Amino acid sequence: MNEQQFSNKIRQALNQGARGERVGEHVNARLRAAREQALARMKSERAPAMAWAGDITWRFGGLSGLSFRVLLPIVVLIGGLAAVYVWENNQSVAEIEEIDALLLASDLPIDAYLDKGFEAWLKKRGSH
Amino acid sequence: MNINGLLRCGQGAHRACAARFGTIFRKINRPPNASESILPSRSELSAFLEGVERRAYKQAVFAVRDGEAALDIVQDAMLRLAERYGDRPLAEMPMLFHRIVQNAIRDYFRRQRVRNLWTTLLSSLSPGRGEGDEQNPLETLPSDQDSGLGESPANRLERVQVLEIIEQEVARLPTRQREAFIMRYWEELDVAATARVMGCSEGSVKTHCSRATHALAVALKARGITL
Repeated sequence: MNEQQFSNKIRQALNQGARGERVGEHVNARLRAAREQALARMKSERAPAMAWAGDITWRFGGLSGLSFRVLLPIVVLIGGLAAVYVWENNQSVAEIEEIDALLLASDLPIDAYLDKGFEAWLKKRGSH
Repeated sequence: MNINGLLRCGQGAHRACAARFGTIFRKINRPPNASESILPSRSELSAFLEGVERRAYKQAVFAVRDGEAALDIVQDAMLRLAERYGDRPLAEMPMLFHRIVQNAIRDYFRRQRVRNLWTTLLSSLSPGRGEGDEQNPLETLPSDQDSGLGESPANRLERVQVLEIIEQEVARLPTRQREAFIMRYWEELDVAATARVMGCSEGSVKTHCSRATHALAVALKARGITL
């Protein structure tokens, strides 16, 4: 028996084994349900423009993929950077305010009175 | 990077983008050939799936040795075929479907390997399982409900046993040999289509088929079956 004849007999045996009554009613029912579910979702032919759009969005993971997987990390990153920038600005302003308040509230150091420029400024202010 | 560098990058991206869009436009607008114009209707796809579903189930059982997993694989394959390739020519359906089934089987084994990493860690905490707990679905298939015309019960029993032995030996073939044998001789795909489904060369397909046929013949002879 050559390869083709042998394989034909094997095929006949396998076909018998795949008959409906041999696989069981449970399997037949599951397969029928799966087939009907697949047909309900069958992709239909679209217009060329829509097909092109569908192809593009599919390559990027679908419209939902474009919205969430690509935009969400970018939005989170930009928001985080903006928040850090605002916080840093507020911190530096607060530090400057604190230093200015300390300077204005503290006593003048004695060395300031030895400064010629400061003495001239006091005299000038006093003359006005 | 300065503004000129950014502009050059943008121009390069624009050229690449335009080239890609051009390819897609050409693909969409090319004149359809004879095979592309034959798109399956819902009833044609239904007839195809009805004709192939039980064979696909048996092929999945041969591969994964689990009836429920095989049903899930076939269901998944049908859904993928209908959702993603429902607008492809009817002549391409067999090749596409079997490729999807083979990919689904490989996905199943990948998930099993990951699952086995956890189950081996937990197996020491669970009571031991007997070797007889796992059942080979090929050994528990229901027998024929119909009685052949004039066939004696003894002949029917012998025929059923021979079928079961043949299925067991087909399932025991090495994976690639079994795939090639089933695609070529059960699904009756030609060598080129089988090679595309299996992702190998036509020469490899012929080699796998030859080895599978020889291995089956030897195994069946060892079990006392001569075809």
